[in-house]
Amino acid sequence: MTTHSTRVVVGVYHLTKSFGKQFVLRDINLQVANGEFVFLVGHSGAGKSTLLRLIYMDDFPTSGQVVVGPYVSTRMQRSIIPQLRRRIGIIFQDFKLLEDRNVFENVALAMRINGTPMGEIKRQATDILTRVGLYHKRYEYPPALSGGEQQRVSIARAVANRPAVLLADEPTGNLDPVVTRSILDLLFKINAGGTAVLMATHDLDMVKSFGQRIIYLEDGRIKRDKEMIYVGDLRERIAESKVGREAEELGDHDLSDRQEE
Amino acid sequence: MNFNEFRYIIDEAGMMLWRRKGANIISILIMGLSLLVVVVFVLVTLNISRVIGKAGTELRIFVYLEDAVDGRTAENIQYRLLGMKGVEEVVFISRREALDDFKQSLGEGSDFLDDLEFNPLPDAYRVKLKPDYLGSRFMERLGAEIGSWEGVEEARYGKRWIERAEKLVKGFYMVDFVLGLIIFFSVVFVISNTVRLTVLYRRKTIEVMKLVGATNAYIRTPFIIEGALQGIIASLLAIGLLCAVFTAGCRYLPELVFLGWEAIVIFITFCALLGAAVSFAAMRRFLKI
Ligand SMILES: Nc1ncnc2c1ncn2[C@@H]1O[C@H](COP(=O)(O)OP(=O)(O)O)[C@@H](O)[C@H]1O
Ligand SMILES: [Mg+2]
Repeated sequence: MTTHSTRVVVGVYHLTKSFGKQFVLRDINLQVANGEFVFLVGHSGAGKSTLLRLIYMDDFPTSGQVVVGPYVSTRMQRSIIPQLRRRIGIIFQDFKLLEDRNVFENVALAMRINGTPMGEIKRQATDILTRVGLYHKRYEYPPALSGGEQQRVSIARAVANRPAVLLADEPTGNLDPVVTRSILDLLFKINAGGTAVLMATHDLDMVKSFGQRIIYLEDGRIKRDKEMIYVGDLRERIAESKVGREAEELGDHDLSDRQEE
Repeated sequence: MNFNEFRYIIDEAGMMLWRRKGANIISILIMGLSLLVVVVFVLVTLNISRVIGKAGTELRIFVYLEDAVDGRTAENIQYRLLGMKGVEEVVFISRREALDDFKQSLGEGSDFLDDLEFNPLPDAYRVKLKPDYLGSRFMERLGAEIGSWEGVEEARYGKRWIERAEKLVKGFYMVDFVLGLIIFFSVVFVISNTVRLTVLYRRKTIEVMKLVGATNAYIRTPFIIEGALQGIIASLLAIGLLCAVFTAGCRYLPELVFLGWEAIVIFITFCALLGAAVSFAAMRRFLKI
């Protein structure tokens, strides 16, 4: 489906999901390649969160299949789910940090649960917290942090086990534009390190200037994927955008990479 | 599960108890007070049934001999009594002893008896039964049989009184049992709701742990340990409070007895298991893990 010859880290095939009689997702097909950055855009209620939940297997498709690395939704056992979760990172709009644990402990949790030795946890957490710029706040508790800082902690926790893919459900939904930008930059940085990112957002305006692959979800169906139909719009915005140069580079790169069908 | 995972699980349990001291103290207080109701009930039941049991063993059958009975017949009667099933002890009480006893029991007002020209009381045997044979049914049968013997005027055992007492005791145990059931289920209900609230309160913790890939054992074990510890501390609290109640009660009723140590150990173990089980059930029900 793509020109990338790399591995597929997330594959969704003929996926349909209904809750009772209400169909939330219909015949979804998509693949996310190793190291790819994908925006999943759609209005509120379009089914983005549901799709992500099916990918981290908090729920299962009504029909069709989700494949994440070696894990296949149709052949999944409950007892295997923790193993899957350790291979993917997940972040949310509301951060989901434990408020009775400090920053370090929140990040350490992801490594404690798979029995990583304490020394290794310390080293790894120090490294990640430095990368997200919060090492100096490692002993703070989440309520004492700003929204942006809390999201950085949750990102640090999500990538602690070096996952192949990071799922982000409206990670900037609670943040102001400046902080949003810095969180997106952090996600780009993590992506540059080789981690695939699949980020859901309702805000097309925010993401279309980056030139990344955008999957447009409408009423539970994929409306557009791959085609860079926002190119014109993108060019227009480059001039006025503070981040124009970066977006242009990223955009051009992806354009050349993706124009086929 | 490797050693680190095991260590972290224990660590999580400690962290849960310690970081949420306030909420835990309140839960433990609620549990401890409701368990106090249980142990007070058990203590009261224990003491009442002791008193009842004691009263039961004081029961005797009095076998009154005919006036004209001769020494040999009387002796015969004694041997026959001793040979009967359920008889533990037979004591001869002469008419004179009986009269003296009677005088003594009347005390001050016994003077009129001195005017008697003859002793109206008969000789008698006082028969004590083995504990297993105490009961109006058996005593009635025994009394009827003995009463028909030659040389026996009648056998008496306080028929009316015993029958009434037995009914009363039966009623008491029935009420006590029903009350016990009600208390037991109320306490289990209170405790399971308290623990359930604790679990619900940590819904987010559990959700996050699932998201980052914690196994069910990793998520559940600390809760079960916490539930068991809460149960143990609450039961110790209840026993401690019961000691205070007991000490106060002893001032008025010095014959009160306390629970045996076996009962206390069983109680604490039961509370630990209850706490753990209720925690486990709450996790299953509310979190489907
Ligand atoms: N567990 C559920 N039970 C019933 N309906 C659900 C459930 N989860 C989501 N939905 C419905 O699915 C639709 C898509 O929801 P969602 O995936 O949250 O959309 P989005 O994240 O794009 O805003 C909504 O209409 C929502 O009401
Ligand atoms: Mg959503």
